[in-house]
Amino acid sequence: MTEITQVLQAIGRGESGASEKLLPLVYDDLRRHAATRMAREAAGQTLQPTALVHEAWLRIVGNGDRTWQNRAHFFGAAAEAMRRILIENARRKSRLKRGGHQLRIDIDELELAATTPDEKILLIDEALEKLQAEDPEKARIVVLKFFGGRTNQEVAEIMGVTERTVERHWAYAKAWLFQMIRAPK
Amino acid sequence: MNTATQREEVLFDAARKLAGSVERGAFLDRACAGDPALRARIEDLLAAATDAERFFAEGSSAVSLPAASLQSSRGTPASAGAIRASQPGEEPVGTRIGRYKLLQKIGEGGWGVVYMAEQEEPVRRRVALKIIKLGMETKSVIGRFEAERQALAMMDHPNIARVFDAGATERGPPYFVMELIRGVKITAYCDQHHLDTRQRLELFIQICHAIQHAHQKGIIHGDIKPSNIMVTLQDGVPVPKVIDFGISKATEARLTDQLLFTAYAQLIGTPAYMSPEQAEMSGLDTDTRSDIYSLGVVLYELLTGKTPFDAKALIGSGLDEMRRTLREREPPRPSIRLNTLPRQESIRTAESRQAEPARLIALLHGDLDWIVMKALEKDRTRRYETANGLAMDIQRYLNNEPVAARPPSRMYRLQKLVRRNRVVFAAGGAVAAALVAGMGTSTWLFLKEREARHRAVAAEQQEARLRHDAEVREKITQAALLVSQERFDGADNLLREIVLTQPTVEGAAVFRAMGEWHALHNRWKEAAERFAVLLRINKLDGVDVSTLDYLERGPPLIELGDTDGYERFRQEAIARFVGTPCPFADRIVKISLLLPANKRVIEAMSPLAEATAKSFAEADADGDAFNAAWRSVSLALWEYRRGDYPKAVEWCRRCLAYPEYNAPRTATARVILAMSYHQLGRVDEAYSELGGGREIIESKYKSRADRGTPVQGFWFDWGLARILLREAMTLIETASRRQ
Repeated sequence: MTEITQVLQAIGRGESGASEKLLPLVYDDLRRHAATRMAREAAGQTLQPTALVHEAWLRIVGNGDRTWQNRAHFFGAAAEAMRRILIENARRKSRLKRGGHQLRIDIDELELAATTPDEKILLIDEALEKLQAEDPEKARIVVLKFFGGRTNQEVAEIMGVTERTVERHWAYAKAWLFQMIRAPK
Repeated sequence: MNTATQREEVLFDAARKLAGSVERGAFLDRACAGDPALRARIEDLLAAATDAERFFAEGSSAVSLPAASLQSSRGTPASAGAIRASQPGEEPVGTRIGRYKLLQKIGEGGWGVVYMAEQEEPVRRRVALKIIKLGMETKSVIGRFEAERQALAMMDHPNIARVFDAGATERGPPYFVMELIRGVKITAYCDQHHLDTRQRLELFIQICHAIQHAHQKGIIHGDIKPSNIMVTLQDGVPVPKVIDFGISKATEARLTDQLLFTAYAQLIGTPAYMSPEQAEMSGLDTDTRSDIYSLGVVLYELLTGKTPFDAKALIGSGLDEMRRTLREREPPRPSIRLNTLPRQESIRTAESRQAEPARLIALLHGDLDWIVMKALEKDRTRRYETANGLAMDIQRYLNNEPVAARPPSRMYRLQKLVRRNRVVFAAGGAVAAALVAGMGTSTWLFLKEREARHRAVAAEQQEARLRHDAEVREKITQAALLVSQERFDGADNLLREIVLTQPTVEGAAVFRAMGEWHALHNRWKEAAERFAVLLRINKLDGVDVSTLDYLERGPPLIELGDTDGYERFRQEAIARFVGTPCPFADRIVKISLLLPANKRVIEAMSPLAEATAKSFAEADADGDAFNAAWRSVSLALWEYRRGDYPKAVEWCRRCLAYPEYNAPRTATARVILAMSYHQLGRVDEAYSELGGGREIIESKYKSRADRGTPVQGFWFDWGLARILLREAMTLIETASRRQ
């Protein structure tokens, strides 16, 4: 049984503090797995996070214990882990492009239209911190949808709301985040 | 979440679903009456929504992980490049093109972009889809591809990536669909894995075989270079795969001036691999030997890490200078090229080949130099005549046998002999020393002299053989010229004197042409003889897979009335192909059943029939109506010959149901159907099918005979149909007279 399985079962039993242990484990697992997967691919290939997360999930449920149904925790942690991996990745690349010394992008200097996809990710992530403070539920939807690549149906299942609600929150959150990015306060 | 933002969200959600700005305005008028601040916030949100969609969509295009960034914690500029957003002129991932869905961009060059794509029907599979970027006239590209398609469909080789399809994107540029190869280009593979020279040569021989296979089908690659040769691992074994067959021909425009040269250079990437005659761009005059030259360049690069001429310098020198260089300048031999590299570079090059510079140079010096230089001859008649010839010479080198690439002197041959039999020679030397001790000097001298004489005779015999081969090649070249001028008499006279002991593509082509010429003039004896030689040449080639040539050989024997000869022929053919993987087993089945067969023959053939049934199912699932229909005919004939008439009827009906029309095939199917109905006692239907088939065949033979094409049917397709028609008429009409 993997450590992840154990932690998920601990969460299922309602043990306190178990949820906090999940993220670093999932993070390490995804990272390591992505690296081995990539080593087999040709240079220049890319990998879809959704595929990685799915594979991670199959590895866990394939490990014998198929009884527990706590997918929501796993997918939540996986989306958050993917968010961190992608952000690291985007930071590194934006830094490379900008001469290697800038650790953060100064969004005031950037023309929004001219930002690279990686910079857009960083900007979205930054605005997401603010949404997190104001409306954690919507922030979670953004993480699951944008970084985790989940469908509305999956998000609805994970969060225990209707698909319609997910769709409504996601539309509102995007407009809200974009306002924040465009006019930082 | 406070109630204010909740209300805001509900209103925003309702408003964004209203289509027109008027409706939205009216809705907000009502909903935000008396609260202008709320209304302003909602309008801001609505305005932001459109831009937000685009912003998130663009951001999510980077939500994928490039390979390099995960392998090490430090990314490289290359990996940053791999993940950048779509350029204008590219198709975004997820786009559907024809029946293909783009999944991921996997490559890019001056000519366009390659995507991994998913085909959903008729079979679900991953393919590589290559979109040609240059401003090419789509219609003519597709037209040229269609013209090649039948030929491409006949290629089936483990070292060739298949090309499945071509079409045009909605925006116009043409695209090609190929077998998806996951691998790296051959030069990179060899360097990354530090393959030594022998291992490189072994990979290269496989590439030669692939090219040979295509040449035998009459297909020239036209753009052989390392990036078109991918190495992929199958069960841990590296397998080179040649990609892009037929594409260079389809995309080749008639380009004659400087302006278009740039486009051409972009298209093919680099002129470094171009043969001198290709660089002339006369557009008329490239043949299989142009591919031999390009193979020579690839071999040069595998051995030395460099191309014979520097690609950048070639392009930089301008069109005329580039042509002059390729036409006139002799590149340095590989060993000399290595010797003149800067020290650091030569150490690096040698290291990636598991050698030291001095040893690598010594290794290349001599045979390998000559082999490479023979492939790179400016005058194509002095190159290896076939890719197989090149491969065989390398194999000889690897076996320590004399190579053909240099006129062998006696010393040279002796060196080879000694090296090959080093152990034997050493032992012989020891015995000789022991003998000398008790032997007079004169005896010793006598023995030595005799040995030298033997050696000299052997060398002379070898030289005579090589000379003879050269003469034969010369005659074949002359005959080929006469054939191209349609002076068949002269060509045929030349061929009478030739005994072939060496494989030759040109020779095969000449004998094929002569056999067809005789066949079209009903000179069946001569036709049968020429085709017999053709099949012998194919066998010499080792990769004897040209089943089409077997189809040529059968009808003349029957027309000649040589049933014994036909019997021998079909037993040979069956023995040759049973137990070997043969993608066109159906042709052997068909050609072997032109006459009724006894039980023993039928039994011997059953593996071929099984292979045919399998390849039928594949073609049918692939939507390849052309091959599926032909295979149905073979299976119909098979069932008919072994007496399962209901099944024969079924296969004929299946063949006739395919929408694609091919006159000799339809006629053949109807004739077999007529015979099957007859056997089942369905007299009226038998007559009706016989009449239909007969009408098609007779009207064909009223017009002038010609060789034909795959689409209209070859002469032998018609020959086959006519032979079966005769059988059917005898069968059905004899029966009716008896009644």
